[in-house]
Amino acid sequence: MHNQVIGKPISRVDGRAKVTGKAKYAAEFTAPDLLHGVVVSSTITKGRITHIDTGDALALDGVVKVFTHQNRPKLAWFDMSYKDLDAPPGSPFRPLHNDRIKYNGQPVALVVAETFEQARYAASLVKIEYAQEPHETDLQHHLDTARKPASGLASLLKPPPPKARGNFDKAFTEAPVQLSTGYVHGFEHHNPMELFSSTVVYGKDGKLTIYDKTQGAPNSQFYVSQVFNIPFRDVRVVSPYVGGGFGSGLRPQYQLFLAVMAARELKQSVRVSLTRQQMFTFGHRPATVQHIDLGAQPDGTLDALRHAATAETSRFEDYIEVVVNWSGALYKAPNAQFDYNVVPLDQYTPLDMRAPGGVTGMSAIECAMDELSYKLGMDPLELRLKNYTEEDPNEKRPFSSKQLRACYQQAAERFGWTKRSPEPRSMREGHTLIGWGMATGVWDANQLPARAEAVLTVNGKLRVSSATADIGTGTYTIMTQIAADTLGLPLEDVLFRLGDTDMPLAPFQGGSLTAGTVGSAVKIVCEDLGKELLKLARKMPNSPFAKAKFDDVFFVEKQMRLKADPSVRIDLQTLVDQNGGRAIRTTATSMTNSLKQGKYTRYAHSAVFVEVQVDEDLGTVKVTRAVTAVAAGRILNPKTARSQIIGGMVWGISKALEEETVMDHRYGRFMNHNLAEYHVPVCADIHELDVLFVEEHDDVVNPLGVKGVGEIGIVGMPAAIANAIFHATGKRVHELPITLDKLM
Amino acid sequence: MITYPFQYKRAGSISEAVALLAEGGKALSGGHSLIPSMKLRLNAPDALVDVGRIAELKGIRLDGNELVIGAGSTHGDIASSGLVQQHVPMFAEGAGHIGDPAVRNRGTIGGSLAHADPSADWPAMVLAADATIVVEGPSGSRSIKATDFFTSMFETALAADELITEVRVPVENGARMTYQKFSQPASRYAIVGCAVVKSADGKVRVAFSGVSDTPFRDTAVEEQLNSGQSATSVASGVSVMSDHYASEEYRRHLANVFLKRALNAVA
Ligand SMILES: Cc1cc2nc3c(=O)[nH]c(=O)nc-3n(C[C@H](O)[C@H](O)[C@H](O)COP(=O)(O)OP(=O)(O)OC[C@H]3O[C@@H](n4cnc5c(N)ncnc54)[C@H](O)[C@@H]3O)c2cc1C
Repeated sequence: MHNQVIGKPISRVDGRAKVTGKAKYAAEFTAPDLLHGVVVSSTITKGRITHIDTGDALALDGVVKVFTHQNRPKLAWFDMSYKDLDAPPGSPFRPLHNDRIKYNGQPVALVVAETFEQARYAASLVKIEYAQEPHETDLQHHLDTARKPASGLASLLKPPPPKARGNFDKAFTEAPVQLSTGYVHGFEHHNPMELFSSTVVYGKDGKLTIYDKTQGAPNSQFYVSQVFNIPFRDVRVVSPYVGGGFGSGLRPQYQLFLAVMAARELKQSVRVSLTRQQMFTFGHRPATVQHIDLGAQPDGTLDALRHAATAETSRFEDYIEVVVNWSGALYKAPNAQFDYNVVPLDQYTPLDMRAPGGVTGMSAIECAMDELSYKLGMDPLELRLKNYTEEDPNEKRPFSSKQLRACYQQAAERFGWTKRSPEPRSMREGHTLIGWGMATGVWDANQLPARAEAVLTVNGKLRVSSATADIGTGTYTIMTQIAADTLGLPLEDVLFRLGDTDMPLAPFQGGSLTAGTVGSAVKIVCEDLGKELLKLARKMPNSPFAKAKFDDVFFVEKQMRLKADPSVRIDLQTLVDQNGGRAIRTTATSMTNSLKQGKYTRYAHSAVFVEVQVDEDLGTVKVTRAVTAVAAGRILNPKTARSQIIGGMVWGISKALEEETVMDHRYGRFMNHNLAEYHVPVCADIHELDVLFVEEHDDVVNPLGVKGVGEIGIVGMPAAIANAIFHATGKRVHELPITLDKLM
Repeated sequence: MITYPFQYKRAGSISEAVALLAEGGKALSGGHSLIPSMKLRLNAPDALVDVGRIAELKGIRLDGNELVIGAGSTHGDIASSGLVQQHVPMFAEGAGHIGDPAVRNRGTIGGSLAHADPSADWPAMVLAADATIVVEGPSGSRSIKATDFFTSMFETALAADELITEVRVPVENGARMTYQKFSQPASRYAIVGCAVVKSADGKVRVAFSGVSDTPFRDTAVEEQLNSGQSATSVASGVSVMSDHYASEEYRRHLANVFLKRALNAVA
């Protein structure tokens, strides 16, 4: 194929719309009859509502209605109906279901008024009395109640821990060098800039058009249709732009339910937006406690590996993520054991958050490997290479591709790793201690089926669409590139659209699978369109293409040409003109090749090297330099891909040093539920970030050979930083984030 | 983020400003503390008297043995002034680390002193420099020693109808001086700021911002240092603040670290 734009650093095609405000987000759509809903949140953590007084709120001008569990409409009865496509096993939370309070911040009333200000003020006047019951929110105090999570549909993309191999107990006991260690991570909340909002436009016919903040419009449509018992055709969900998701938009959030309920009851359009504080009242990255035991030979060969993790979940659903499996796939260790348990607590169900489980588990194993390297007196990189595996030991099957060794080499060289002095506290400038650390990253490269539509208009412009999402990753851009290249058109002649349930079905944007999944559908649907063009060419009188098969032609410069003789060519416009004044339209589904893919483990890999400076007197940490080398198959667009990796690295800095939602367990409430106290890095915290893409060929993962880069950037960062801090200070911190008090 | 209603008045001279202030309201200089506090509705003056364009309040000059800084000088003016760099280099150094360029181009020394934020940088510097703050009111002008100026958190010896006109800083030949701080990473306010001036005869003056609710000269430490002992009693006579930026214990630790660093810098 003659690649014109794939692999080129194309700037975002939606960039201009975003910086000029032309790009509209869920809360920016409106309707002439729009009402505004504001949510009242529970102030207790567990118990019952005993009394609701809405009198003062209803007495205000402009207030239309206050919805509570006492006056909500009758809705679907069974739990099943409330299960969205990403629901973990359990009974999903139902807003305004009854008088029970299951977690702090639970929505307990929706105030609907003519203006937002009226609704907000009225919401402050709703008086709610509760009967409190004792709650449990502290994972560390309830580890004794840990149990296996229930299994369900979610296990498809989230396999259970690998089976034990060899005899761990024996191998560990006999190992000449042993390490037993543990790591604790706190709660984190996604906090995309855009607040969760749904604008429900109520049509004359009762049909709903819903502008929703979501990572998958089809999921919102499915949920609304099930819960409210409305046929799919009467619910259209539109979500062209999303101001960040990071996983928080994988499940419909309660504002969607409330806005739809109010619109249907009032037969009027309604918008409900959450506040920043309310962004802390649904899914989060779970707090975890992990244990790792490693047994090794003096030369570093791992004999025994045990990785166990315990995470919190809600009382009503068993959220699962893959935490411990990565260790087993990354290192040979012939004797290994894995365990993953959950502790149900009185809080909302956790939710996938950028590299869910991966950044958690890899942080632990990669810190443990660093600890082991000091026990062995061995270079941390050498220890990794010593235990490098070309086969996935969990599944005993090859990797579809694995250029991790090249990642280690190239990143180490760029970083200057050989100049490291191995002793902790051996590199300093005045009161600044300098540390160098490294770690590995691993993440899934999955593909799911997806559909797309392509239309070549009578003017020779290509319009491609699929109901996927672009949560800021660059999907619009890379899909435009793929479509442009497949049919040999300039980027300006291609318009890719997404985020609308009227478009062909695609999975939600998550798990770094959109590039490979939707990209494949776009490629196939454009190829199908190419085939239609070839049919038209063959039908033309005296056509030089009369005998050509699809494999005999290629598309470039708005033309179809013969591979055997590129001087034989025809303008696509000429071909469209043959179609009787009609556009040419194709729809296609890209299926996964499960038979072939099932024989391989499909992962993206990374190697991360980091320099930190720690002020010895103050305990402050600066990440002054970080190099990440990524092997993620084919890189469709080095610019948007680099942005994804850099975003991940910045978040890795955040997770390592700053980010944590802190709960006051006396009240079961998050204390820092705002962006002033929920710390994330500011520009001044970010120094040199360097990204390398290592060449990697993969014809198993998907027809494009891409692995997705949305998450791999964060995975190795926290451990690399923690390891660099140890190298700088000689202090091993076992609890993230590593705030300065832990270094004093 | 919306202020209560207020009247806006612009003064063209010091006397006009004093006259307008006598009618009530608050002086508006760079607006970088006052406007945010009004938007948060922590402050609700009926009127603002804009003193930002009064030429008499601007300018930096040498007057005999004193460097005179107009109250309307911005942090940026002071950081880049050759006179300041030469005669009171600590002021240039400290001013250059206030906030970000936008803050330094708008915020003024007069506004900062009048505001008396416990974490502001100027208070420690004017205290250690032994400066005098000159104010003008309905009954004329008076001079207030920096050591008498700060009375409590956001409270000063300034009367409601008085305007700060200038800051007079004694120029000491052969003195060494520095201002060192642990900045809040986003705003750059001093979680702890320490100013040290060492006279030619080796005697030191030490002042802290950020440590207590009122900026202060640490006379106990000065006595120790000036009698050849080591500084063991940092912030001994004051109650040390504790907040989500730094606990009391960590703040005390910071005060010790930054005193040590400041003393090293002037050694
Ligand atoms: C983002 C940000 C970061 C900042 N970082 C820092 C920092 O790192 N360090 C630091 O020290 N400060 C910092 N500041 C505060 C900044 O320095 C302010 O500019 C300063 O505190 C107030 O000066 P102003 O000229 O803006 O005063 P204004 O906001 O105009 O006024 C403040 C108060 O002083 C009174 N006032 C003003 N002028 C006079 C006068 N001549 N006579 C009598 N009263 C007067 C006003 O009535 C008001 O009460 C920061 C501010 C912001 C917004």
